[in-house]
Amino acid sequence: MKKIVYLVVALALVACSEDSTLDIKGMFSPQGETVNTRFEQSMAYNDSVGEIHLEMFSDEYTIYVCTDSHITRKTHKNLDYFMAQYLAAPLPKMALHLGDLIDAQKNYPCADSVLRQPGVAVNQAQSILRPFPLFITPGNHDIYFKQWPIYRDLFKTSAYWFDTNNGSKKLDLFICLDSAEGEIGTKQTAWLKNLLETKSKEGYRHIIVFTHTHLWKLDGSQGHTSNYALEASYELTSLLSKYGVEYVWSGHQHARQSVIFKGVQYLVLNATKDSEKGQSYMTAQMGEGISYQYFDFPKE
Amino acid sequence: MKKHLALFCALVLALPMLAAVHQPGFGDRKYSVTGMLEYSYNTTWGHHGNMDIQALMPINPHFEMEAKVQLSTANVYTGVVQLRPKFQVPVGELFVETDVLYKAVARNRLGDMTAALGVGYRMDYVSVTLGLFCRVIDNWDRSVHTDETYVVEPFNLLYRLEVFCRPQNNPWNLSFMFSNVDDYQMERMWQPLFMVGAWYDVADHWRLNFGVQCKPTGMFHLDATFYGATFRTGFTYKF
Repeated sequence: MKKIVYLVVALALVACSEDSTLDIKGMFSPQGETVNTRFEQSMAYNDSVGEIHLEMFSDEYTIYVCTDSHITRKTHKNLDYFMAQYLAAPLPKMALHLGDLIDAQKNYPCADSVLRQPGVAVNQAQSILRPFPLFITPGNHDIYFKQWPIYRDLFKTSAYWFDTNNGSKKLDLFICLDSAEGEIGTKQTAWLKNLLETKSKEGYRHIIVFTHTHLWKLDGSQGHTSNYALEASYELTSLLSKYGVEYVWSGHQHARQSVIFKGVQYLVLNATKDSEKGQSYMTAQMGEGISYQYFDFPKE
Repeated sequence: MKKHLALFCALVLALPMLAAVHQPGFGDRKYSVTGMLEYSYNTTWGHHGNMDIQALMPINPHFEMEAKVQLSTANVYTGVVQLRPKFQVPVGELFVETDVLYKAVARNRLGDMTAALGVGYRMDYVSVTLGLFCRVIDNWDRSVHTDETYVVEPFNLLYRLEVFCRPQNNPWNLSFMFSNVDDYQMERMWQPLFMVGAWYDVADHWRLNFGVQCKPTGMFHLDATFYGATFRTGFTYKF
């Protein structure tokens, strides 16, 4: 019965705030820029900024990771808490948000005020100038209802890579993929393949891909979240495996999961959304190995 | 697991017995062989062609079996076995759809195995199926010495709604289908397929078939884009 309720209210679940308007047209045709267009615009920005190499001054550092905060103007206490924990943590560090920052339209000003704290860098150009870099990938809630231009104004790019270094020593490579509509598109796929072909030969310690939409639908209870087409799942997982990607971090389904397939570990994180059950965020301790830990958000 | 298997077998064997009295209609399908050629495109595999061979075996009026094979130039090979117990009701026909589909994705060195169980009802102009399926994806290169296991997607909804312009035993027809499964794929529940099919009986034993399928992506991200399309044509020989 629960599954049937999921089915019936599926449309409501994808647009579930008081600000949302159910845009049924979006189910049949793109209502804003498609992934190929967003990718082209992102590459134009990336080219204007140049490559991003983060100096960590150590071989070891911490990454704070959260996803699916779905903030509205009324509620964003978990994201506030996450940011407070991140800002209070000792250096070196950085943070990732895996998409669905906001719940629906009209909430970007609020998201901006939560994220833009002193020292926090929310885009590529700022990340080499400010001490607290925060990298974000778009989720479906972030771009539908024609919100890509607002996202782009704030965060500039949806597909990019950066690496971390300790002096002249290369540490880890991070690749952000735009999967906001459950598809990474032909242009981004070609870029990813080319990037991995080149970068996998440069001796990085770890290669990590982060994106919003999860590759596998492991947990049957999460019936309301959509995925990639199967062909795209097959191809993407094989590509990531071929070039030695170690981890894929994603969100979207609001339930924690971990699976290893073709040598790549796929971690899906719990949501950060205030009203969600089982909210948590993750910290990853980067060193010769990667150890990760989950932290529950405080209950009211 | 054994209990589930026993229950499943009992269901498959019992349903034909329930239909004690055979009535003419959908149960009169004949042994047939179908050959189809497909042109297909999707944004992942690009342009490719497929060859399909299907055999329908109506073993008795209450039980039929289908075997299907698809060979694709995308280096993907699919085999399907369907067992379909069925029985007439005062209006239309009830059937149980039991499918096992294996897709050998040689280009990515992995196998995708799906098993489905559904219940369907069809009348002259409409056919509806609802069910569940489970998917197991296995890496062909998996070493037993690692933590890696196969990927199990335990719950997926199977749905199929097909509407016909003419009664289904008409010598020609045009149909429109909305489903997440077709003859050679079982997509995740939020990845629907839209299909238009047509047939024309050109001679006593020969039927000409056409089909077009469109596969969007991102529909339930409320940002749908085109993902792929397939055009197919071929003949069925009815014995």
